Amino acid sequence: MSETTTTPPGAGPQPGEQLARTSGGTLRMAWAVVPYFVSVLLAFVAGGVVILLLGNDPFRAFESVLTTSFSTQFGLVETMHKWVAVVLCAYAFAIPLATGKFNIGAEGQLLMGATAGVAMGIVFSDLPMVVLLPVVLLAGVLAGAFWAGIAAFLLVRFQVNEILSTVLLNFVSFAFIDYVASHVWPDRGAGHPATIRVGEGALLPRLGDAPSVHAGVIVAVVVCVLVAIGMRRTATGFEMTAVGANLRASLVHGIRTSRLAGAGLVVGGALGGLAGAIEVAGVHGKMLEGMQSNFLILGIIVGLMARGNMVAVPFVAFGIAVLEVGASSMQRTAQVPVEVVLIIEALILIFVLLSDVVRDRLRGAS
Amino acid sequence: MSTLTDFFALMIPAMVPFLLAAQGTVLSGRAGLFNVSQEGLMVLGASVGFLVSFKLESNALGLFAALAVGGIFGLIFAYTTTLLRLDQFVIGLALYFASLGLGSLLYRAVVGVTFEPPLIPTLESYPVPLLSEIPFLGEVLFDHDLVVYFAFLLSFAIYWFMYKTNAGMRFRSVGENPKSADSVGIRVITTRLWAGVVGASLMAMAGAYLPMVYTGTFTEGMVAGRGWLVIALAFLGGWRPQFVVAGAAFFAGMEVLALRAQVEGIGIPHQFVSMLPFVATLVVMVFAFRWARQPQFLGLNYDRESRLAG
Repeated sequence: MSETTTTPPGAGPQPGEQLARTSGGTLRMAWAVVPYFVSVLLAFVAGGVVILLLGNDPFRAFESVLTTSFSTQFGLVETMHKWVAVVLCAYAFAIPLATGKFNIGAEGQLLMGATAGVAMGIVFSDLPMVVLLPVVLLAGVLAGAFWAGIAAFLLVRFQVNEILSTVLLNFVSFAFIDYVASHVWPDRGAGHPATIRVGEGALLPRLGDAPSVHAGVIVAVVVCVLVAIGMRRTATGFEMTAVGANLRASLVHGIRTSRLAGAGLVVGGALGGLAGAIEVAGVHGKMLEGMQSNFLILGIIVGLMARGNMVAVPFVAFGIAVLEVGASSMQRTAQVPVEVVLIIEALILIFVLLSDVVRDRLRGAS
Repeated sequence: MSTLTDFFALMIPAMVPFLLAAQGTVLSGRAGLFNVSQEGLMVLGASVGFLVSFKLESNALGLFAALAVGGIFGLIFAYTTTLLRLDQFVIGLALYFASLGLGSLLYRAVVGVTFEPPLIPTLESYPVPLLSEIPFLGEVLFDHDLVVYFAFLLSFAIYWFMYKTNAGMRFRSVGENPKSADSVGIRVITTRLWAGVVGASLMAMAGAYLPMVYTGTFTEGMVAGRGWLVIALAFLGGWRPQFVVAGAAFFAGMEVLALRAQVEGIGIPHQFVSMLPFVATLVVMVFAFRWARQPQFLGLNYDRESRLAG
């Protein structure tokens, strides 16, 4: 009964279907892009009011939010590093979302990927890079896939709600990495639960002169291309989109919907795990508590803002990465707490969602 | 005082955050609203509750402030989902992020980074006259702060409202089949708005209780996944207030056990003990999802003009 009445949760209006109704290329682009700009603008205005209420200068704060990434090479490198983790976590959320499933466990998958990567990097620290680095990344992918696989198994076999299982697994992983970082390979001198460093061969090479980005950026770009092709040009990708768009129709046409949903979760988890391994191999060189930062939230925001459009994900993720890097600089220069940026991001998301309603009303009126 | 008495006497207050937030979730859910911003609302409630108690030196005002702030978020949630018909889960997530950010921001803005965190007095206990004299039961049940009694009375009140009153039956029908409810003149939108507001208020109040009973301070990590466990609890309890009480006892018992095991040291690393509530929840869910029922229209928006609805 309920399946027939509404679109599946979160799948939302597909961009293609929205666009098909209007005619003309520029008008179509305008309907798609203008709401984003208006949403971002409104969110910044609201954020500016908050900053003003806190007694700071909003223009100075926003200047440092928006320019840090581009004014120095260091800022750009930091932005690219953030982008890698954000884009992978966004896919970890967006790919299961294509099938109508919510993966709220990118955080846990990232941490398990990091744990597996760091384990390989420490145990086989003597191996040369050609062998060790692929092993580290692969271990991360497998660990992430395994961690999401638990949720996928519970979903397919026992119909356990995937939202809850992925979230609960996050908390299990927090305790798990705490254990690894304080009992298995602890770095006693760190003053914070952290493992010892991985071997030299496990570190991603740098591209160009210092400060330079790590090669994980290339990995992430490759992943972006693969995901875009996979979702648009392969039968599996099409089936996944079909399941998300209309569960009943897919069932009727003989698509194994629940398995596909499980598979979506596992692929998403694998990318989350990859993000963890890259964080270890490219940024930290070790695993430390709190390394998941707020990538879960950022990934979800990006995934929701991209509206199921896998090609848009990297670009939205870049915008979010700029905001995040700018946020920490804003805290240093303008003494505005970083949380303001989280609120702005949440507001952008809410306004983008609201723009649907506004757009529909405008069209209805005209 | 025996260990058993101790255990139960600790478990009862530990149940309160679960009870308040889960009853709020159930209340929203039975009207068809699936709000997932518990975790964020609890952080926000904890922050607001703490700050108001700290500045105005009254825990009661802190609790009320948390209720009010939660209500505002609940109204945003209910308005965007019932009247604008945006996806409930997505709006819930967005509000989770916003409330998480706002909670931390408020604390940062008012208190700032201090060497020694500010303290508020924890709630005093009010032993119930006569009843608290009963051996064992008296100590376990009737020697707590007022919020504890409130949480249990509230659970009973919600149960009574939902199952023993006419209004409650109409209320539940909104979550089961809004089209039918609408056709017999029940105001679906109004009901959902109220359910959203009251539900979110209770979630925020659950958060405010945390600094008032445990540490007397606010930290960003103090909610520690309780908000998500609460959603699991609502599912496990089949969205029925009476089963939620039993479920809350289970979660609180786990929490107290884990804390005990950490303090006393039982040979296994404490990290594995702190995994326990989450792993146990997963295991229970495997069994519970087979029989636990949920409101038919949970998480789905009602569109009066849609031909497909109902």
